[in-house]
Amino acid sequence: MIEKPHHIPARLGLLSATAADPFLTEDLLKGVQGHAGIDLAKVVEPLPEEDPRWDVEPLRDLVDDAMYQFKENRTEADGWLAPRLHATLRLTRREAADRRIWTHLALAVAPDYVAWRHGPAPAQDRNMRINPARFKGAADRQCFSRLWWAAEMFRNGEDYGPVVTACSNQDLIHNALRMDLIDHRPTAQALVRILERGVASTGREINGLLVAISTAGATLVYDALAPDEPRDPEPLRAWIEEAESAPPVPRHTLPVGPDEERVPEASVAALADYLVGLFETAPIRGRTPQP
Amino acid sequence: MKFYPYKRLNRPISLRVTSASLKLPDGTREHLDTSAYSVPQRTVALGVAQRDDWISARIGLSATLPPGATDPDAPWSDLRVLAVLTDGDTNVRTTVDLRQDAPDSKEWAGDIEVLRDDHVGRATLAVHAVATIDDVPGRSITETDADWAVDTVAEEPLGGLTLDVKQASFSKSTREWLRPYSDAPWVIDASGRVPLVMVNTDVEGFSDLLGGNSGGVESKVQELLLAQMATDVWTAVFHSALGDLEVEPDGSPVFPTDWRGEVLREMLPDVVPGLRAEEALRQVHRRRTGDAGWVELQTRVHYAAVRRASASKAVANALRALQQMNREDSA
Repeated sequence: MIEKPHHIPARLGLLSATAADPFLTEDLLKGVQGHAGIDLAKVVEPLPEEDPRWDVEPLRDLVDDAMYQFKENRTEADGWLAPRLHATLRLTRREAADRRIWTHLALAVAPDYVAWRHGPAPAQDRNMRINPARFKGAADRQCFSRLWWAAEMFRNGEDYGPVVTACSNQDLIHNALRMDLIDHRPTAQALVRILERGVASTGREINGLLVAISTAGATLVYDALAPDEPRDPEPLRAWIEEAESAPPVPRHTLPVGPDEERVPEASVAALADYLVGLFETAPIRGRTPQP
Repeated sequence: MKFYPYKRLNRPISLRVTSASLKLPDGTREHLDTSAYSVPQRTVALGVAQRDDWISARIGLSATLPPGATDPDAPWSDLRVLAVLTDGDTNVRTTVDLRQDAPDSKEWAGDIEVLRDDHVGRATLAVHAVATIDDVPGRSITETDADWAVDTVAEEPLGGLTLDVKQASFSKSTREWLRPYSDAPWVIDASGRVPLVMVNTDVEGFSDLLGGNSGGVESKVQELLLAQMATDVWTAVFHSALGDLEVEPDGSPVFPTDWRGEVLREMLPDVVPGLRAEEALRQVHRRRTGDAGWVELQTRVHYAAVRRASASKAVANALRALQQMNREDSA
C-alpha cells in the first residue's frame, strides 16, 4: 500500500522522465513502498515563484476527496476528478503538453493516488505492477494528464457536463484520446451525444464506432460537414488570470470552465446523426448485421 | 494505396506561404520578413522575431488547385478549399476556408491564425479541396501531398530533427540528476519534447575544443567528437522513438506525430532496407516486442546512426591529420 508522502512539495515543478526514473522503484510499482520524497525534490526544476497556479494544496485536497468519495469504485473517480482537476490546474494547451509537470504531480504530490487508481485491485494478482506510464507516460496514459486532456477535449466551452458523460465510458476515453478525430470539437461533442442516446455503449460498440468514424474520415473532411467557431485566446487567458482569486472548485456541482464559444449546436446535431448512420452500417464484432 | 468510392483529382494541391505577422499584447502587429519562411523546407519559423510575448500569428496562404478542379463538367459541386492546421502535441485542429481569387480560378488564398497558447513546437499545415459528390457533402477530392510545418519557436525555417544542446558542470549543476554522470563527457536525454544533449564542462578544455575554430588537428578531433556524439544521439533517439510507440487495437504500431516520427522515417530505410515505412515499422516493432531478432538488428541501428553522423568521414579526416602530423614530426 502506497501512503501519502511525508514530504509533499508546496509547489508544482517540472520533473523530466529521465530524472524521475530512479524513483520509479520496483517497490513503488508493486505498491509495496513509496520513495523518499526529499531526494526527489533535488531533481525537480522549479516553476516561476509568483504564479499562484502552482500551489499544490488545492490539488492534493482534490485527490484526497476523490479517494475518499470513490473508495468503493475507483473507476468512477475519473468523471469526478477530470473536470475538477481541469478547473483547479488552469493551463494552456502549450503548458499542458509539457509532460514534466504531470510526472511531478504523480510522483511527488500524489503517488498514493496513482497506486490507488491504477494499482492491482485487492482481488487481483499481488504480483501485478503499476504501469510506469501512469507516472511518467504519454498524455493519454499518465494518471493525471489523461484526465486533464479528457476534460479539455470533451468540455463544451464552459460546460463540463459532456466530460462526465465521456469519462463514464472507459473505452471512449481510453481510445478516443489517442485518435486525432476528437481534435475536431464537433466530433467530440457528437460522440458524447451518441453515448447519451444509448446508441453505442459497450466497449466493442464504441471501438467499432471510432473505427467507422476514422475510416470514413479518410474520404470525408468533417470540418466541412460540421463547422466550428474560430478559436479565441482571450477567454482562456482571462480564466487563467482568475486562478489567483478563484475559490476551491465545488465538490457537489460541476465547476465552470473558460467562457469560450460553445460548439455550434447545428454542427453537433448534424454530425451525431451522420455518425449514427455510419455506425449502424458498420461491421461490429459480436453484432448480427442489420437486414 | 487508398481506395476512394468516387472520382477524385489525381494531382495534388500546391501550397505556398505568402506572409506572416505576429499580434502583440498591445494589439499591434509585427510583420515578419520573408526569412521567416522557406519554400524548399516548407517551414515557417515564428521565432525569427525573437520574442515570446506574441498572442497569435497570422499566416498568409496561397493554394493552387490542379487542372480539372473547376471544370464546368466536373462531377462535383459546392467546391471549397480548406486550410487545416493540426498539432499532435496539443491536439489542436484549426480550419479556415480559403477564398477563390476569381470565379473559375485555380488560385485560392486566405489567412490562418496560429495561437501561441495552443502550440509547443511544430504544427502541420495542409490544404484540402472538398466538394459535394453524389449528394454526399464534405468529400475530399484532392489535397496537398507534402505538408508545411509551422514552428512556433524556431528562429530559422529549417526542416528535420532539432536538438537542444546545453553545457553544464555535471558535478555542480542545479540539475541534480546530472551528478551521477559527472565522469561522463556527455549524456543524452531523449525523454523530452526535443532530444537534449548535455555537455559536461567538468572535462577540462572540452567545451573550448567543441566551441573552438582553431583548424589543424584540433578541428579534426572536434569533428570526430561531434560525430561520436551524433552517433550516440541518433542511437538514443531511435530507441526512444521505438520504445514509446502507440499500438492500434489490431496490434500494428502507429508513427508518432512529433520528432520521434521524423526520426523513425529517416532511419528505418537503413535499418530495414527495401520496405515501405509502415511495413518497416511493423517489422522492427515485432522484433523488439515479440519474436527473436532484436539483438541482430542492433548492428543495423548502429549503422543507420553512424551514417547520419557522418562518422566515417570524421574518422578518415582525423586519421589523415594524424598521419600528416607524424610525417612532419619525423621530417
